[in-house]
Formats: sequence, structure tokens, C-alpha cells
Amino acid sequence: MRRQRFWGLFLLPGGIWLLVFFLLPMAVVFGVSVGTVDELGRPLEVFGVPPIVGAHWENWERVLDDDTILRPILRSFAYAGASTLLSLAIAYPVAYTIARYGGRWKALLLILVILPFWVNYLVRTYAWLVLLGDDGFVNGALDLAGLGPYQLTNRGLAVVMGLTYSFLPFMILPIYASIDRIDPRLIEAGKDLYGTAAATFRHVTLPLTQQGILAGCVLNFLPGFGDFITADLLGGPGVFMIGNVIQLQFLGEGEWPYGAVLTFMLIPLLMVVMVWYLRSSARAARQVGRA
Amino acid sequence: MRARARHGGLWLWTAVVIAYMLVPIVVVVLYSFNSTRSLQTFGGFSTRWYEEFLADDELRASLWVSLKLAVLTVIGATVLGTLLAFGLVRYRGRFGGSANILMLLPMVTPEIILGVSLLLLFSQVLALDSGFTTLVIAHITFSLSFVTVIVRSRLVALGPDLEEAAQDLGATPLQALRLVVIPNLLPAIVGGMLLTFAISFDDFTVSFFNSGIGEQPLPVRIYTQIKFGISPAINAVGATLFAVTLLTLALALLVPRLLGRGGRGESSLGSIGDVV
Repeated sequence: MRRQRFWGLFLLPGGIWLLVFFLLPMAVVFGVSVGTVDELGRPLEVFGVPPIVGAHWENWERVLDDDTILRPILRSFAYAGASTLLSLAIAYPVAYTIARYGGRWKALLLILVILPFWVNYLVRTYAWLVLLGDDGFVNGALDLAGLGPYQLTNRGLAVVMGLTYSFLPFMILPIYASIDRIDPRLIEAGKDLYGTAAATFRHVTLPLTQQGILAGCVLNFLPGFGDFITADLLGGPGVFMIGNVIQLQFLGEGEWPYGAVLTFMLIPLLMVVMVWYLRSSARAARQVGRA
Repeated sequence: MRARARHGGLWLWTAVVIAYMLVPIVVVVLYSFNSTRSLQTFGGFSTRWYEEFLADDELRASLWVSLKLAVLTVIGATVLGTLLAFGLVRYRGRFGGSANILMLLPMVTPEIILGVSLLLLFSQVLALDSGFTTLVIAHITFSLSFVTVIVRSRLVALGPDLEEAAQDLGATPLQALRLVVIPNLLPAIVGGMLLTFAISFDDFTVSFFNSGIGEQPLPVRIYTQIKFGISPAINAVGATLFAVTLLTLALALLVPRLLGRGGRGESSLGSIGDVV
């Protein structure tokens, strides 16, 4: 019992830090979302003091009445969803090849695949601007062939491509890990039982890698949904996502409470995905433990 | 024969995807050494963009801010994260589960939410203007979980046996911790430190919301410059950021191996797999 209390003390510094600087700020976002503003769009009262009596819900009403906010939200769903599916389609064969046939090249191939992740996120997106820009590399090459110039950036497709590129390592890695864990004898057994390659893949490999696919999709969709840099640099105001609208409220000439409402709306939405994912991976871990 | 052809297709696809992933990096590094302004043709080797980068007072100041910030973040996150790892592994009381979830959440929370919520906490509750202090707090907040996850997996792998053996041989619990457990955890702790350095040094979004006009880390400064227009000097800054990060990761791979007393060179890169 005394030992328990002793080790419990170790939870305190980090636990309190996260309570104060991670959980409390979420509550503050809500507080500001029902606060009033001065002429500059900055919140006047902390937690809309007096907090409960005078909560200002008009910021929330504005968001709910406002049709223009719907488009960036839908775009976030569409772009993050499309880039997640695209990423899955690109990544699965790569992860499969490295895990099953990589042999002694496995480590090197994995490093090559992870490498882009360690290039600064901003620089990575900027590199695509260099490649796809009006006087960028691709248009230069097209020019030599007597084509173009084409406008390749500033459109939704460029944003989807940028998001796919940015989070691809997060799709390849978990899928690779789940394929690598499969006992090769299981796949052989599938073939011994006269399963075709396709049938073996569908009935053996695919179900066994479900957890990896799930992890990859969550790790692509969540950061993609909240992203604003890609749409900011490769897109433009015409294809702004919810992250761009939020960013403009705080660092542009917007209103903080309005931005707080939008941010607060994101929290439960994304929490649902996260909790669902954490629970399903915990369940999978239990099943593995039992087997 | 058909099987081989099918593998050929898979390998071709893999090669194309890896090329696609590497092209932007190659372009940035290559054109950072271009002697002309062009982003289409390579005019010859030159270091003029690096000279321009280092001659730029703002960029140099930002590089310094980024380095200081990363070092302070490493110190804070390592202390808090390591203690938390001990608590999570060894405390079996009823707050253990909630503490675990609280620790995991920041890793999966989109950065824009972390950035905005901290900005509001600092400005509305703590009355702190955005600046270096807010940056350090913000960076420690998003990176301490990574240290915890890495140290925890090593602590679990270590098991209680060694420590109990030390105590059977007459060591006090504190001596067993200091002489047996901590040295065995060192590879994981160092790995966590280096990973934290890389993450902090590379962060843009959270920094963007929490840095003032004065002290901006390098990625935030690059953003401002990109907004003004593409300049080859940005290639040089980007290549430099990449080089620093790669160096840190190479250390993260090597140092635990050198320190690895019975650690079998388990490195932080292996643990990144656990994180993901």
C-alpha cells in the first residue's frame, strides 16, 4: 500500500502538467467561444464573466446559421478522406513488398520510406510548390516538350496530393508492421488449401492486417482533417479547409470567439475517431493475448 | 514464372512510390546548391544560398531560437516523461487508466487544436504574451508523451527481476533504482531525448500559434518568407533543417547502441514503431 502511494507520486508532475496545459486549455476554448469581443475581435471577458449568467451563445448561433462555414468543413472531410484512401491504395503494396520480399533490404527500404517524414513539414509542402508552381520544375519540363504551362497548384487536387504525400509514411509503417507480424506459414497454409493468391490475400492477409490499416487511416485522417498548411500553400482561398478558417480567426483579422467555436467543434468530432481507434486497438490486443 | 512477374510488378510499384517520396527532398537539396535563381535549371554548384541564409539576421536569430527551444524542451520533457513512465508502469491504483489515456491523447490530437487551445490558455487565463516562455511550455506539452512511451516500453521489457535481485543482494530500493534500473533505461532515455529534439526542432503548427513577433523558431520564419515568395535561400534553410534532423536521428540510432549495456542496441527508431 505504501509502495502504491510512492509510485503514484511519480504520476503527479507529468499528470498535473497535462491537466494544466492539455485538458484545461480545452475548457478555455469553450470559455472563449461563449465570450464577448472588443472592436479588435479579441475576447473581452475570461469565460464570459459572469460565466454562466451571461454566456454569449451568439458566436455559436453565428456558426450554425452561417452557410459559408459549411463548405470548408465539407472540404476537410472530402480532402482528408480522399487523401487517406489514396494513401492506403499507394501504401499497401509498398508495405506488403517490403515486409514479405524485402529480405536483407528491409531496413534500408524502411529508412527510405520514413525519410520524407523527417523533412520539415513546411519544407516538404514548399518543395511541391517548387515542383508544381507556375515556373516550377514540372512546368519547365513540360515547356521543353512544347507543352503548358499548366496551372497545377491552387486547386483541390493539389491539396489532396499534398496531404497524401505528407502522411504517406504514417500509412506505410503500421501496415508494414502488421504484415511483418504475420506468420508466413499461415499464408502458405492458405495456398496449400488450394486458395488462389487472391483468395489467400482476401481471407488470410487482409483480415490479419486490419489493425494496421485502421491505424494508418486514423493517422492519415486526423492530421489531414486539421491541416491548414497544405491548403494554404498549395491551394488558395478557393479551396480552404476548416483549419485555414480557424487560423485566420486567430492570426488573421478574424474574431477569437468565432475561431474558438470552430476549434471546439473539432474536438468532439476528432475525439470520437480517436477513442474508437484506441478502444478497437485495445480490443485487438486482448484478442491476440487470448489466442 | 508468373509469380516472379507478379513480384516484379510489386517491386516496380515500390520503386515508383519511393521515388515519388524522395523527389521533393532531392529537389530541395539539389537546388539549395544551385548557382542561379532558377528552380527549373541547374546552373552549377555554389554555396551562395547558404551564405545568404547565414547573412540574414532574422533567419540566423530564428535558428538560434529553434536550438535553444529544442534543448529546453528536451530537458523538461525528459524529466516529466520519464517520471510519468515509472508511475504508469508501477502504480496499480485507480488513477492509472485515466493517466494513461491523458498521456496518449496529446499524441493523436491534431496540432491545430493544441496550438489554439494553448494560445487561449496563455492569453486569457495566464495573461502570458506569446514569446519564448509560451513556446517552451507548448513544446514540452506535445513532446513529453513520446518520452513516456519510449521509456515505458523499455521499463516493461526490463521487468522486475534485475531490481529484485539487486535488493536480495542487499541494495536499498533507491540504490537498486540508481545502480540497476536507471543505467538499463539510459538507452531509451537518450533515444527519447533525441527524438524530442527532432520533433521540437521541426515543429511548425504549435509554434505558429504560440510565438510572438520577436522570437520565431525557424519553421515559423520560413512560413513568413514563403508567403513573400519563393526564394532559393529557403531551399538552403530547408536543407539545413533536414541535415540537423537527420544528424539527431543518426545519433538516436547510434548512441543507445554505444551506451547499450545489455541493451542490444534497441533504439528509439524501434520505439517509434510502438508510438505509431
